[in-house]
Amino acid sequence: MSFEWPWQYNFPPFFTLQPNADTRQKQLVAWCSLVLTYCRHHKIYTLDVMEAQESPIFNNKKIERKLPTEAVQIIFEELRKKGNLEWIDKNKSRCLIMWRRPEEWGKLIYQWVSKNGMTNSVFTLYELSNGDDTAKEEFHGLEEWMLLKSLQALQLEQKAEIIAFNDSKGVKFF
Amino acid sequence: FQIRGVGPCSPLHLLNMSKQLETFKTHLEEFASKHKQEIRKSAQFRVQFQDMCATIGVDPLASGKGFWSEMLGVGDFYYELGVQIIEVCLALKHRNGGLITLEELHQRVLKGRGKFAQDVSQDDLTRAIKKLKSLGNGFSMIPVGGTYLVQSVPAELNMDHTVVLQLAEKKGFVTVSEIRSSLTWETERAKHVLEHLLKEGLAWLDTQAAGEPQYWLPALFSELYSRDVSPEEASQLMP
Repeated sequence: MSFEWPWQYNFPPFFTLQPNADTRQKQLVAWCSLVLTYCRHHKIYTLDVMEAQESPIFNNKKIERKLPTEAVQIIFEELRKKGNLEWIDKNKSRCLIMWRRPEEWGKLIYQWVSKNGMTNSVFTLYELSNGDDTAKEEFHGLEEWMLLKSLQALQLEQKAEIIAFNDSKGVKFF
Repeated sequence: FQIRGVGPCSPLHLLNMSKQLETFKTHLEEFASKHKQEIRKSAQFRVQFQDMCATIGVDPLASGKGFWSEMLGVGDFYYELGVQIIEVCLALKHRNGGLITLEELHQRVLKGRGKFAQDVSQDDLTRAIKKLKSLGNGFSMIPVGGTYLVQSVPAELNMDHTVVLQLAEKKGFVTVSEIRSSLTWETERAKHVLEHLLKEGLAWLDTQAAGEPQYWLPALFSELYSRDVSPEEASQLMP
């Protein structure tokens, strides 16, 4: 299924940081939403800022509009504040995009575990993200760093405990 | 239907007129009860009915109670339509700042009524909006390029603003140069109006256009017409 752009994407002013405060608020909310749904659709988990600026997200060639760097940074900052983005480096050139926050992934994983009566079982991280049993689940294929964060969130809720094996990690659910 | 008889203003003449008016009203009542169904179902019929009422100086929508709205349900029809119009305008307000073309409003009202609902015309919408306006709901209709923009939010729009909206209708956006040349205004005046439209959330600024900045109105952005409010958009509506 191809990605459906929101109406704002083909609206030229969407690529100009709006001077009116209320309108700018709406604009930022729409941009944040667009970045997250785009990444979700394409299963993108990390973004390189320079690359992103040239990508279709911020660059609509059809209407010849491009979101300026300053605005892109404002959007990334908004996403960070909402918990959907984490900078990988100090220079803020690469970031993790969490179109689903760790808590939300954790919930999904735990639902699967309890639905299948697997509490008190132990899994390796690999089994969870790449095992045959989870093939139909949304968290299948989840990148390890994201999976780990999600399990850490569950750990905080005392629903799971992360275990260290010899050269890998596992998790026990309660 | 002719008023015949003696010279104007004589008592006999007035009595004659009064009797004939009475007869006319009775006929109209019979007609109305016979065609009540049709009034609800047919837009064309409603227009003809309204015209007929107008010739005897009766406004079926003038009061909530009384013969016309109770017996015919004409009032109910327009009241319900008014409620629908308000719903559509509220749902889209965050996009277009409270300004919508009559076409888009019509399209969305029809959609909301579903396949088997009664047919609703632009004339119906116009009447319902006029009624809303008289009830002080902040509604008004601005003529632009052969159609209307329906304003559902009382943004203060004066003649200057309105005339710029009309200019913008053609392409969906307008520039200072266009205003200067089409309306022969000074730059200051043009900028003042455009600033106001930005402030009211009716227009967005585009600085990447070739030449000079363009001021776009979501209400006139035709690509928007068939786009429903997405779940993402709807969730943004909640404060």
